[in-house]
Amino acid sequence: MSDMKEKIRSFIVENFLFGDAGELKEDTSFLNDGIIDSTGILELVDYIEENFGIKVEDDELVPENLDSIKNLEAYITRKTQSAA
Amino acid sequence: MNYNYKPKELTLCTHCILPETFPGISFDEQGVCKYCRQEEKKIIHLDEKKEEYRKKLDSLIDGTRNKAPVYDVILAYSGGKDSSYTLKLLREKYDLRILAITLDNHFVSPAAFKNIKNVTDHLGVDTYSVRPPWPVISEMFTLTAKADVFSKTTLLRASSVCTACIGIVKNLILKTALEMSVPLVAFGWSPGQAPIQSAIMKTNPGMAQQAQEALLNSFPESIRKKIIPYYVPKTYFEIYRERFPQNIHPLAFFDYDEKNIIKELGQIGWMEPKDTDTNSSNCLMNAFANHCHIERHGFHPYVWEIANMVRQGVMEREEGIHKIYSDQNIQMINFAKERLGI
Repeated sequence: MSDMKEKIRSFIVENFLFGDAGELKEDTSFLNDGIIDSTGILELVDYIEENFGIKVEDDELVPENLDSIKNLEAYITRKTQSAA
Repeated sequence: MNYNYKPKELTLCTHCILPETFPGISFDEQGVCKYCRQEEKKIIHLDEKKEEYRKKLDSLIDGTRNKAPVYDVILAYSGGKDSSYTLKLLREKYDLRILAITLDNHFVSPAAFKNIKNVTDHLGVDTYSVRPPWPVISEMFTLTAKADVFSKTTLLRASSVCTACIGIVKNLILKTALEMSVPLVAFGWSPGQAPIQSAIMKTNPGMAQQAQEALLNSFPESIRKKIIPYYVPKTYFEIYRERFPQNIHPLAFFDYDEKNIIKELGQIGWMEPKDTDTNSSNCLMNAFANHCHIERHGFHPYVWEIANMVRQGVMEREEGIHKIYSDQNIQMINFAKERLGI
């Protein structure tokens, strides 16, 4: 697992799963599997903005970008590459 | 009534008021919780952030006012102090055309209805309430009073009963905004209730649809069928795609001082109800909802919100402790239980 994925996973396990990773996989849907709710998604956005140096625009707040570890990694990679 | 839930019987964070029973919490050698430590950097820049959001709201409203057919904004209006103050702010400071909608969940205090009438009359605001039939509300509240159907994360911030009720409110407001082509929807969330970055945010149809489905799927089929009319129909996510409104909750970034809010509201006919609990100024179900949550989880459903407010310095720690660790009113608990037949 990449460093980025590991960091995201640790944040989610620590803050939303209270240390119990259980069945959390790279493609587990945060919303559908009840891991994070709509307010939690915003806390996640706050975390990635602060830790990965990107700004998440309103129109980027879509499940395709934010709803799993895999989607998040792809989104952050795209954003950082386009900024470079 | 003793819940074995008093500050003297629990270790509390020495900075905010989160208890040792809060999920995932740990304390450092100074007795400060990990959530306070995580927020330290953000709190330092909070005033700048609030100023940024005030300017953002000014600019959003300048580009929105008087452009929609009838209303500029729909407010989710409970009649409580926070939504009443939000209404006052949007009317007096921004001169918006407002529709204030109340969900009558059969437990709205008569004093709150009187406040709704007084405040909307004084401010010149249109208002109506939506009252789902008693069997719908009764079944939903009975289920959520007896069991948790939502995710653990959701239950950190609100009781099951409140989450079920507010789910209807949020979606009813969004549905109405889409139908009436209203560009803004407003809520009276306190500064501790949601992250500041959500205080001005365009609702994304894809995210809203997935969040709505996740919430609805938490309910058993029998209840889901009854509450679905208050949610956004699936077709709306496509046909009204371009109409999705901006969400605003201004109290997250305006000065928030409870005493001052109550004083200012007094000037427009709002009076503090005497029949509600320490965390609500409109709902007669809240004490029972809190009671059920505390019994099942060992922490108060409002503690996250109030801890955030203490951390941000908008509420004194002692006041926060009073709100969270006072006993729930037994008469109010029994009133709700009897009405629900539990």
